[in-house]
Amino acid sequence: MKFLKRASDIQADSAMTLAQASVGCSVRINSIKGAACDRLRSMGFCESMEVKKLSNGHNILCTVCGTKLALNKKLAAQILVCPV
Amino acid sequence: MSSPSEQHLVALVGNPNAGKTTLFNALTGENQKVGNYSGVTVSRKSGNFRTPHGRKIELVDLPGCYSLTPQSPDEKVTRDFLTGEQDDETFPDISVCVLDASALERHLLLAMEVIELGRPVVIALNMVDLAESRGIHLDPTILSEELGVPVVPVQANKKKGTLELKQALRLPLPAIDNPKWEVSGNKEERLAARTEFIQTICGEAARRENDGTLTLTDKLDSFLLAPITGWAALIAIMLGVFWTIFSLSSYPMDFIDESFGSLGQWTANALPEGDFNDLIVNGVIAGIGGTVIFLPQIVLLFLFIALMEASGYMARAAFLMDRVMNLVGLSGKSFLPLLSSHACAIPGIMATRTIDSAKERLITILIAPWMSCSARLPVYFLLISMLLPQASSLQQAGFMLAVYSMGIITALIAARILKGKLADDAMPSHFMLELPPYRLPQLGYLMRHIWDRAWSFLKRAGTIILALSIILWALQSYPKPAKGSLAAEDSSLALEQSLMGQIGHTIEPLFKPLGYDWRTSTSVLTSFAAREVFVSSLKITYSISEDIEDEQQDQLLRDALAESTWPDGRKIYTPLTLLSLLVFFIYALQCLPTTAVVARETNSYKWAVAQLVGMSLFAYLAALAVFQIGTLLGF
Repeated sequence: MKFLKRASDIQADSAMTLAQASVGCSVRINSIKGAACDRLRSMGFCESMEVKKLSNGHNILCTVCGTKLALNKKLAAQILVCPV
Repeated sequence: MSSPSEQHLVALVGNPNAGKTTLFNALTGENQKVGNYSGVTVSRKSGNFRTPHGRKIELVDLPGCYSLTPQSPDEKVTRDFLTGEQDDETFPDISVCVLDASALERHLLLAMEVIELGRPVVIALNMVDLAESRGIHLDPTILSEELGVPVVPVQANKKKGTLELKQALRLPLPAIDNPKWEVSGNKEERLAARTEFIQTICGEAARRENDGTLTLTDKLDSFLLAPITGWAALIAIMLGVFWTIFSLSSYPMDFIDESFGSLGQWTANALPEGDFNDLIVNGVIAGIGGTVIFLPQIVLLFLFIALMEASGYMARAAFLMDRVMNLVGLSGKSFLPLLSSHACAIPGIMATRTIDSAKERLITILIAPWMSCSARLPVYFLLISMLLPQASSLQQAGFMLAVYSMGIITALIAARILKGKLADDAMPSHFMLELPPYRLPQLGYLMRHIWDRAWSFLKRAGTIILALSIILWALQSYPKPAKGSLAAEDSSLALEQSLMGQIGHTIEPLFKPLGYDWRTSTSVLTSFAAREVFVSSLKITYSISEDIEDEQQDQLLRDALAESTWPDGRKIYTPLTLLSLLVFFIYALQCLPTTAVVARETNSYKWAVAQLVGMSLFAYLAALAVFQIGTLLGF
């Protein structure tokens, strides 16, 4: 139990936000926080989904299961991801 | 069992861009708009068909939404309809969930939410061909078993599978009581349960293979969304659209112009002389002709906007423009409504329904009428050609561009100020937009949509504009001067003694500081019903006969205006007066239908009246400032 907890801690440490992820990388969504999380989830940004980041900038472009989505940087900062 | 003659209600739900509207058209055969910009379908659309069992079905196409927790007014309609809370509607007998098979994981979320409502559901798995081509292998049988509802694969754009779908609409269809996934707990737990379930069934029912190959959409986007080439393309497209509208529409406009001119001439000769002849020629034909002439421009503008929506480019334009709109506190989603407002503010204001943030939507509605709509064009054309009589057409076009920019820039500044004044939304909303794959627009639906727009415009010309033309004609014709009096010989004197002349003289003091005489004041007053009336009012008040060629009329009007003087001999139409008129027309909200639509869309007369009064007052003050400051500077 204790070991498991530490493993999840390590995972949380290595987590970054979608805004920080580098362009061209595929990442997996760990968790979503913040006020707009319902909206994000209904658009397809759900836990354990795979996201490919396409571009940085004022708005971030990414694909979630084949659909291209544009989202504000502030929103991308609410999505915690880890490398696949 | 319900009797076969009874009509059953079936609702079509799905994410935006799932192909809902295409399926709707394929099922009912009734043509309707197809769009890619999230949430194009905003009003209740319904159609009828019979199932192979002979049941009569009324199919309702609900606005696209991502979840049943509504964010925008559009999505609320869908939620309320499915839960039976929409006014005057009952529960749908069956809900058909349209899913894009190539993005099953995302689209299943909504479908599961609909299934959880505990009412009969049929799933239409759309775009199976696209999914196959992307290497996703689907198994509808497994999907159906796992979800507990019938799943029918369809290809709405090729009308494949529609018969099977109609067959699946058995009545009564049992609803499922207990879905296989966890439906208890709070909202977050249920969402997590749904996601987990989706992961499992997609592993079984939708295997994904060659993910990562570049599609045509990706290749196009790498050009159209890139920082430099993207902006260049956007600007080129916008310039191209406006240039095409102005250059192409002149041919049909000339034709309409000539047709109405010769119709007027023919009627004037054919009918016996008298009041009736006068009413038909100068009231009805001239009034309607003056409006119908804009039809080509409006049709072209709507065609381009519809093309951009249907091809998927509109979402890219919104994505690019988001950055610019952010500067004034709006988001990219306001771009489409504001662009459409250049054709006509009414569809522009209706297009704001896709904006999530209530505050942003209100601001967009409030500033939309400052986008110069096509009804202002004839006024601009007249004033600019008088202001710059010797200028080349290129210079005039440049001036026109400046006039347009003036409206846009003021509107954006107003947005910035309003953003600070209005109360914030309860929930902050951020920009998030789906960029659908590029598609070839379906020409049939496009034509149908344009025709609908053109028809509603013509209906307006036949009702409001016709009524106004007749009223204007009556006002300027009565009371008739006594026989043998001086006025009976001189038509402009007769006009001055008519009701219109009296009204004009009454309001002249109000508009005199702006540089307008009583004739111009009267025309400005009439243009509050519809702007396009201004030019024909001027023709009437300056007694330009309507039964001659239109081109000649315009020339005569320009001459008459240029020669008209105040009683003390000074010229009325100085460049300054023209400029003041131009400024007035840029800013004044002179369109009663717009005010009516604003009242309906904001759900309050307060905002509509405030907008009407505020914009008119601003127009008055701006024109006053132009004229008075100009006079002081000695122009």
